[in-house]
Amino acid sequence: MKVHIKLLSVLALTLGLGVALSQSPAPTGKLVIVQTQDPHSWDPIDTFLLSWGMVGSNIFDGLVDRGPDLKIKPGLAERWVFLKNNSVIRFTLRKNVKFQNGEDFDASAVKFTFDRLLGDEGAKGPQQANYTAIKDVKVVSKYIVEFNMSRPDPVIITKLAGYGAKIIPPKYYKEVGDEKFNNLPVGTGPFRPTEYVKDDHLTLEAFTGYWGGAPKVKTITYRFIPEASTRVAELQAGRADIVQGVPVSLASVVKGIGDAVLVPVGTTTVTELRFNTSLKPMDDVRVRRAMIYAVDRDTIIKTILQGYGKPIASFQGEISWGYDPKLKPLPYDPAKAKALLAEAKVPSGTEVEIDFTDTDVQFREVAQGIAGYLQAVGLKVNLKTFEQNTYFSDIIPKNKTGHMYNFGWGGWTLDFDNTAYLLYHKDEYWNPVFSDPKVEALLEKERGTYNQKARQKTMQELARYLQEIAIEMPLYQGVNLWGMNKRVSGWVVPPDDRNRLVSVSVK
Amino acid sequence: MLRYTVFRLIQALFVMLVVTLLVAFAVRLSGDPVVALFQGASAPNKTDLERIRKALGVDRPFLVQYTEFVTGLLTGNLGKSFRNGQPVSELIREKIPGTLVLAASSLFVSIALSVPLAIASAVRKGRWVDRLVRLFSLIGLSFPNFWLALMLILIFGVGLRWLPPSGFEDWRSVIMPATTLGLILTATNVRLLRAALLEVLSTQYITVARSKGLPQRVVLYKHALRNAAIPAVTFIGLQFGGLIGGVVIVEQVFAWPGLGSLALNAISQRDYPVLQGTVAVLALVVVVVNLLIDFSYGLIDPRISVS
Repeated sequence: MKVHIKLLSVLALTLGLGVALSQSPAPTGKLVIVQTQDPHSWDPIDTFLLSWGMVGSNIFDGLVDRGPDLKIKPGLAERWVFLKNNSVIRFTLRKNVKFQNGEDFDASAVKFTFDRLLGDEGAKGPQQANYTAIKDVKVVSKYIVEFNMSRPDPVIITKLAGYGAKIIPPKYYKEVGDEKFNNLPVGTGPFRPTEYVKDDHLTLEAFTGYWGGAPKVKTITYRFIPEASTRVAELQAGRADIVQGVPVSLASVVKGIGDAVLVPVGTTTVTELRFNTSLKPMDDVRVRRAMIYAVDRDTIIKTILQGYGKPIASFQGEISWGYDPKLKPLPYDPAKAKALLAEAKVPSGTEVEIDFTDTDVQFREVAQGIAGYLQAVGLKVNLKTFEQNTYFSDIIPKNKTGHMYNFGWGGWTLDFDNTAYLLYHKDEYWNPVFSDPKVEALLEKERGTYNQKARQKTMQELARYLQEIAIEMPLYQGVNLWGMNKRVSGWVVPPDDRNRLVSVSVK
Repeated sequence: MLRYTVFRLIQALFVMLVVTLLVAFAVRLSGDPVVALFQGASAPNKTDLERIRKALGVDRPFLVQYTEFVTGLLTGNLGKSFRNGQPVSELIREKIPGTLVLAASSLFVSIALSVPLAIASAVRKGRWVDRLVRLFSLIGLSFPNFWLALMLILIFGVGLRWLPPSGFEDWRSVIMPATTLGLILTATNVRLLRAALLEVLSTQYITVARSKGLPQRVVLYKHALRNAAIPAVTFIGLQFGGLIGGVVIVEQVFAWPGLGSLALNAISQRDYPVLQGTVAVLALVVVVVNLLIDFSYGLIDPRISVS
């Protein structure tokens, strides 16, 4: 009998364990994340800032989702089809999804989200511009919606994973109004914002009803610290678990912290010197190519960036759709540079200017390095800095730059289309002077088709052509440095700063 | 008294009008709030830019925008932030406690340090105490507050872990930022207070007081200090404006939520309503503090009457 009791209790224990295992444990622990900036509004349609994406990816879902591997996968839509010669996209929505306030997610929420984005409220923000190819959204049934397109947009599915297309709850939004929604919004994501003190912190609490399963961490506190040394100090003091934006100059400090690690991750951001082709002697392709040959970009990456960067051949990184692994950067060849300059009759001592923003400490060093190389081939280089907003509002778009100017690009759609069109298409905001009929033709060809293979080929051709006419000096693809306390586990660092923290736990 | 008060209030109003006009004009000289909204990715095209400019109301002439701001100011409506649509008055209300706590506690640190140091140094003029105090105040004057802040963080926040390196959590959070600003103020205050004391100590009435056989303590505290207070109080009042400027940098380093970082962000974002509102409030604070100091002369020295 004794044996039987023992057996029974073992059986009971095993069964109990089984039950416990099948249910995910309740979220526990507190995660403190330090980021560089407070976007001041958590409404998805108000901003483009990566600092929004870091947080917003935990609060909201889009119809489609993009994980740390940067692949598009179903989000709140389970599947989608293109109909009527690609002029309609039909989405079948996920069932049994709830917003964090208990509101049901269905087709009406999708319609409300896009009506708001494409209407007056969206007009006040920067996100609307991305989605203007959508004419309207029609509710077909409770879980089916149709997007009517006003023109083809081959990148639209990727864009639906973007900030502006995150689905919001109609009832909650109407109930609390826009202002309250900016501060404490509600979405279908794994965490719900509960407390927000501007420029100080935002607290999120785990949403156990999340459709993808409850997250592991109970509380996340985001702190906003603009000064890099202070961010690192918080990691050193053991008060921060994950720290964004460690500058290269502080990488060794973070490596030296006993209970923390430095986490480098390749980003989608690329950096270049763009040539102003309206100024002499930059109108001469030989001069532009000479500039590229003259600068040893690999050494700049190895020394100034301490290796935290990758060389690029065109203005895109390897994760960009349209990237061509066969296209290599022009080599470092000062002799060839000198020969080309002589051929173009550029006299020794010719002055050229490099422009950049005054707060970019790292690029200042890079610019000094470049200036050194250009001086070695007989040019005289002036470095000139501008206040950031002035630089991007008045200097670049109004063609007031010098011969070369620093330019960085995130390319959030991870598709060369976004970069190429806005940078090389005639009369675009970032392209006040350059125009080339072949570039125009290739861009139109690429934009007119949903055939992704064909698009990729066209964009590779475009990148090759741009290298040939040397419109810019591609410098490097950036590497972001993060600091992480060893308490944290299960964190996959995303290259696009969208830190979805469902499977992260903290000891 | 009444006429004087009214006159000073009108003067204060005029100062605020000029300051806000200058700021509103200058911030529009370069840059674009709409381009700032696009920061992070993608690029605006001309239609987008015009659409958002219109929605924000920055497409209208400067005078229209400024008049709207001034009429709003008189009715207490400071407009809404370009970035998040929140009323500016609400943003300022959220931030003002942080800045006032910081400014007041740094002034406190500074006065608590500079008064005894200045007395010690003036009384023992030319001796080693005096030389030491002057040397340290010179070092203090040459400190960039940015550097001092980082040193304090490294020593007390990281090394000893006595204080939180940044943020505004509880009273312990105030210590390092207040010390940073306080120490730098102390450097100038000590020198000024010492000079004022020395001047008073060399006057005839002090010699008379001493020759009457009054103890040093009474001579110092009753006669000398009180007479040296007027230039000192004036100076501290003037310093308050500068202090607000120093607050901006210290707020950045310590990630302290206050008006300084609000104004700084508003400049880089070209968030006109927030910047104009914040500057108006800061100008008001400085004007009111100086007004109070003018009125305080009568309290310190009954011979002065404010009329």
